[in-house]
Amino acid sequence: MSSVYDRLAKIIMDVMHLEEHEIQPTLTFNDLEVDSLGLVELILVAQKEYGISIADDDLHANLTLEQAAAVLETKVVPAR
Amino acid sequence: MTGTFDAAVTGLGMVTAAGIGTAASWERIVAGAGTAAADISALAGTPVDFGCPVADFDPLVMVGRRQAWRLDRSSQLAVAAAREALQDAGLDTSSWDAARVGVVLGNFVGGAATWEKQHKVLLSEGATEVSPMLVPMLSINMSAGYVAMECGARGPNFVAATACASGTTAIGLARELLRAGTCDVVLTGGTEACLVPSIISGFSQMGALAPRPADIGTASRPFDVARNGFVPAEGAAVLVLERPAAASARGATVRAFVSGYGASADAHHATAPDPDGAGAESALRAALADAGRDPTMVDHVNAHGTSTPLNDVAEARMIRRVLGGRPVVTSVKGTLGHALGAAGAIEAAATVLTVQHSLVPPTANLDSQDPAIDLDVVTKSARQSAVEVAVSNSFGFGGQNAVLVITRA
Repeated sequence: MSSVYDRLAKIIMDVMHLEEHEIQPTLTFNDLEVDSLGLVELILVAQKEYGISIADDDLHANLTLEQAAAVLETKVVPAR
Repeated sequence: MTGTFDAAVTGLGMVTAAGIGTAASWERIVAGAGTAAADISALAGTPVDFGCPVADFDPLVMVGRRQAWRLDRSSQLAVAAAREALQDAGLDTSSWDAARVGVVLGNFVGGAATWEKQHKVLLSEGATEVSPMLVPMLSINMSAGYVAMECGARGPNFVAATACASGTTAIGLARELLRAGTCDVVLTGGTEACLVPSIISGFSQMGALAPRPADIGTASRPFDVARNGFVPAEGAAVLVLERPAAASARGATVRAFVSGYGASADAHHATAPDPDGAGAESALRAALADAGRDPTMVDHVNAHGTSTPLNDVAEARMIRRVLGGRPVVTSVKGTLGHALGAAGAIEAAATVLTVQHSLVPPTANLDSQDPAIDLDVVTKSARQSAVEVAVSNSFGFGGQNAVLVITRA
């Protein structure tokens, strides 16, 4: 898995108090009971974590974490 | 008015500074030591940095990991108390008629900690960083909403706000839902969690709070000649109310009855009680009339007794005038501090337990009773006393008064 995915998983663990084994790449936000408000909460944290800007329609609750990480990956400017 | 009406208390849940759970809370309330007061890190640097928090409350355990982060602490405490109350009542939430189960809670200031935190975010990081959870965590009605989500109660659902009388008002209104035939079961009580700098500084600036004594456990001293303010607290209590016939039909244990409710307004001042206690008296008389009890029948008063100079003397004079010197009086705020919108609910729960166990807890820290308070106040240790009829007083800012009559089942 990409480091973007790992960092996304860490954010979900921190914000939603989920445990590592509960978070799987093929699960959707809905599967994790992260609703639309929860997703906005995650986006706020992720923007800070990645230093990027995420629009409301970039992510939605039916995306798997793997798909979400791929969306974030396109926005993350390589460090070097 | 269609005669008297008893609401059966079939379940209790308490999350207080005295303990998590009814048994732990009651044990410490009966012991009557004001040991609940503690330093509160969130209040560091403010003039009054101590209070009565619910120590060791782990929301991940009490509310559940997937839910806890969405709820302000005020709702977390309510959900935890409601869970205990439902379990105590032995109600099967999968088979009950959910549309006829109501939730009526009392609350004073809503999700104060969340609001304060997000207001800091607004000021330091800007509007686009404010949490989308702010409004659902802040709104004063949400504790009742989350209790319904917790157990699937789909009947009338609201929060009553009468400041420090909110919990008492809520229970009074919950009983009306049973009496009117609107509900078969109502979960009712109150919650409060506002031990945060802005709110506590506000109380401090009013001069309402007790300053820090050498031993902070002695700061809350209702009816004592040296009382000098209240000690802020947090907590929640939930009672399950049912009609007595329904309770006995399903073989439930009835701890006590809520048999009367009275409410009034002082129409006097924002925060000072009417010195004559006229509003409080009218609420007490209305509650007794509602219960069909004469003032001479009252055995016990669980007083509002905040430990402020003005409240305690005005309340004591009113009790003496209406009920005479016979009732055994206590204020559990010596032990618990003042849990504001939850106080009335916690005290109603304590009164239910007093009636059930014929045991009046002492007023903690009452060493030298104010000579202006001419009442039989229990001090030092709990008193065994058969209580058939008890009243629980609550008086809120805005001059809003609420009184419950609680009787032996």
